Amino acid sequence: MQTDSMLRAFTAIYEGLPYILSGIWITLTVVVGAMVLGFIVGVPMAIGHVYGNRLTKRIIDVYVWFFRGIPLLVLLFLVYFGFLAALDINISPFVISIFILGLISSAYQSQIIKGAIRSISKGQFMAAQAIGMSNRKAITNIILPQALRLSLPGWSNEYTIILKESAVTYALGVAEIMTRAHHVASRTYQHLAIFILAGFIFLILTAIGTGLIRRLENRVRIPGYTQ
Amino acid sequence: MKVKSFKLKAMAVLLLVMFISGVAIAGDKMLVNGFDADYPPFSFIDKSGKPAGIDVDSLNWIAKKMGFKVKHQPTDWSAIVPSLQTGKIDLIASGMSITAERQKVVAFTNPYWTVRQVLVTHKNSNLTVEKCLQTGRKIGTQRGNAETKWIKANLIEKGKKFELLQYDSAPLAIGDMVMGRIDSVATSDTILKEAVERGLPIKSIGSYGQPDTNYGYAVRKDDKKFLNKLNKGLDLLHASPYWPELKKKYGFY
Repeated sequence: MQTDSMLRAFTAIYEGLPYILSGIWITLTVVVGAMVLGFIVGVPMAIGHVYGNRLTKRIIDVYVWFFRGIPLLVLLFLVYFGFLAALDINISPFVISIFILGLISSAYQSQIIKGAIRSISKGQFMAAQAIGMSNRKAITNIILPQALRLSLPGWSNEYTIILKESAVTYALGVAEIMTRAHHVASRTYQHLAIFILAGFIFLILTAIGTGLIRRLENRVRIPGYTQ
Repeated sequence: MKVKSFKLKAMAVLLLVMFISGVAIAGDKMLVNGFDADYPPFSFIDKSGKPAGIDVDSLNWIAKKMGFKVKHQPTDWSAIVPSLQTGKIDLIASGMSITAERQKVVAFTNPYWTVRQVLVTHKNSNLTVEKCLQTGRKIGTQRGNAETKWIKANLIEKGKKFELLQYDSAPLAIGDMVMGRIDSVATSDTILKEAVERGLPIKSIGSYGQPDTNYGYAVRKDDKKFLNKLNKGLDLLHASPYWPELKKKYGFY
């Protein structure tokens, strides 16, 4: 009896593995897509928050408050089953997930980068102006190259968070790891074995991702650089 | 030059819009079957990751016979009727019970299968149906399905005080019952049989009063032409030697 149930569990894992593993590409596309979108939106927000006028700061604060304050699942449902259904717009859950995760991530990334910009001494900005650089040039050539390097540890953290949150898109049926695990579990009734497997895949993806970002950190480090 | 770059931009925007709205550029219209991926043996995802089940295979056969193209889209069961109404999907061929409530909003084909709803408990349990309906007992169902609606309307609203717990899928409800977190699960005999074949220590303790229900495919009410096509296809299927073959393949008898 015991060996029988063990055998069923292993058979379920063995047979289900290729299908679940191919969900890694969906998961990674969602995660990388969201991080890139978050970066593209987050960097200007960080700059706007540090150097912008009072109104700009206020608008960014409201944006960040909004996207950090509403749970991912609520936002997904609100947009997919709420707005898009009401407006009769047909966009795939996959695209919606990247979009929503990206906007949430932009709020967090803007905070990471803002902190990094703030940590660079004001004297550098003034010095850049003193040698005749425009504000824009000073930000893109002097401040940002340093700030983005300083942001890398924060990004590593952001990656792990988005990776794990991407499993929530299961609720919309995006065919990522969790959704596929669920499909296999339903067919085989081996929920325990299959969800252990899913957890294990996420652990490995976390290790690989944070390892890559650490390597990037070492690679772009400027020898002898101190703030 | 300027005109050209404007055209390019317009094209880029157009392409983007088409991409995100998933519009097919050319070819026949692909009809979308929304199905519950967690409902073996009617509809599920097979070992190779493809949609399978008696409903999926039947529909593929009918589509080929009747000359339309169909693809199968896993859809959350509790949102499946709104998905049909709003055009996210074009039909539901996925073990759907024909109920009066659903008939108000969608149209059904002729029935192709009849299921008996039963209460399922652990193999070693000595609970009876009466005991399962008593105050404090816990019954599990799949959220939004016909069993759930019937139990609410005919047992809970008539004063029964057991607790009804709704799960994302029938297998999850059954799994929870085996672990002892709930006393029984209300589901169909076909689902029960499939779970037993997967080695689950469960049994039926009999009907809880819900009449047998028929399964049919659902389409939008104004899709009369398509409905006729499906009905004709079902008739052809049931008369063909492929139907007994399918039933054997998925363990129906």
